[in-house]
Amino acid sequence: MHIIDCYAYSNKIRAVDPAQKAGLAVTVLLLCLLLNRPLVSLLAVVWMWGLAVWQAGLPPLVFGRVLLAELFFLLLATVAVALSVSTIAPTNPEAWLLQIGPLWLSSTPAALYNAVNLVLRALGAASAMNFLALTTPLVDLVELMRRLRLSPILIDLMTVMYRFIFVLLDSLNRMVAAQESRLGYSSYRRGMASAGLLGSQLFIDTYRRSQRLQTALDARGYTGGDLRVLPTTYYTSRPLLAVSAVAILSLLALRLVL
Amino acid sequence: MVSKKRLGWSLLLTLPLLVGVNIAWARPAELPQTMHIMEGFLPLGWAIFWWVVATPFWIVGFLRVKKILTERPEQRLLLGLAGGFVFVLSALKIPSVTGSSSHPTGTGLGTILFGPFVVGILGTIALIFQALLVAHGGISTLGANAMSMAIGGPLVAYGVWLLLRGKVPTYVNVFATAFVADLATYVITTTQLALAFPDPVSGFIGSWLTFAAIFAVTQIPLAVAEGILTVLIFNALQTSATTEMRALGLQEV
Repeated sequence: MHIIDCYAYSNKIRAVDPAQKAGLAVTVLLLCLLLNRPLVSLLAVVWMWGLAVWQAGLPPLVFGRVLLAELFFLLLATVAVALSVSTIAPTNPEAWLLQIGPLWLSSTPAALYNAVNLVLRALGAASAMNFLALTTPLVDLVELMRRLRLSPILIDLMTVMYRFIFVLLDSLNRMVAAQESRLGYSSYRRGMASAGLLGSQLFIDTYRRSQRLQTALDARGYTGGDLRVLPTTYYTSRPLLAVSAVAILSLLALRLVL
Repeated sequence: MVSKKRLGWSLLLTLPLLVGVNIAWARPAELPQTMHIMEGFLPLGWAIFWWVVATPFWIVGFLRVKKILTERPEQRLLLGLAGGFVFVLSALKIPSVTGSSSHPTGTGLGTILFGPFVVGILGTIALIFQALLVAHGGISTLGANAMSMAIGGPLVAYGVWLLLRGKVPTYVNVFATAFVADLATYVITTTQLALAFPDPVSGFIGSWLTFAAIFAVTQIPLAVAEGILTVLIFNALQTSATTEMRALGLQEV
């Protein structure tokens, strides 16, 4: 997760208004779902990957690696869509059949098409969101949600959570290093005991940090209410706007041609 | 004849296991392996449907959080950090027998410590963060994933926690709560997938069983491992974090 966060802060379009990047990502995501055609989804992957490399200056392999993060879920779930399992023989004349014991394993060209469409649609939608994730830090997205009038309570929860995910992860990693250097994960039993200890110590660390932070706020005269921070200044990128329009129109055009 | 049939059965059963284990090994170790429906995987209609179903639970959770913050404004930071804790728990590695390691969802422990409605809100934010920080789950499937992991799992688990409270030793109750939270998440996700992709031959039931069988390979061991882990964490907390536990209203346990 450090990879995504790291590129989100250091890419070339980091300072572009988050509304512009989120607008593009959400539009492409919705188009993938609405148009629901394998080639349209494939074009969406190409566009988002291309924009991430060309506009944001990300290394091409990083985008690919993030895109395949969910390969495991995608493969397993798609198998169930492509194959049918039943106790009676399927009657469809187009079906390919395989009998294993009392079970019939079957598939049809239509089911295979559905599976391919599903994989591409998921990849297209995921590449749109990954483009957003890799080019926009979460603080910018929280700022966008603030502009969209999301409740200040939730904004505060998100801001504090985002910061402390990294603080706590750091804490966690140091504890894991300490445990590993003392052979804390040398066997299954020991590993389980170490993980249990780790979880409880992390909770105590979390709780005490929140108390200390509260003291720090109290010392500065905090009496409840929302935590206010200064927003960053953003700019609107005309080139990105133009390319986004071309990308979205090309997706629509491809659907009309098909 | 019988042995041939047996062979066929065991092949059918071991194949997904082998595939699953090999893929799990090939994956980068830092990524959580929890059962989130991937971005774009659900058709638009079902994606919207689950958003609509989740909304009332989000509203109840939000009102609960708001009430906590008006009564005790000093809890604002604790809630934020609790959310961070629930998120970071999923980065914890539980050793597992197959050689790969799995990650807890943390929803069982979160439910015991902070209550199901607060976990509903914190879990949903954690899901948004997972979609945007680790590319797991998604925004279009947020409703469905929140329904299974942040709302359904914790609510069912809380029911178990209240039902067994005082009737069985606490460690049994903690195990059951964490186990059921994972199991409920698994069952709800399976149902969501089967509803969206019914089998053309054997319908919803056939598709449900197929999805259930495929994900059982990773999810059932995870539920057991998380149950054990949660008991260990809870026991350690009872001995070393009595002040904090009392502040959360868990002193009598």
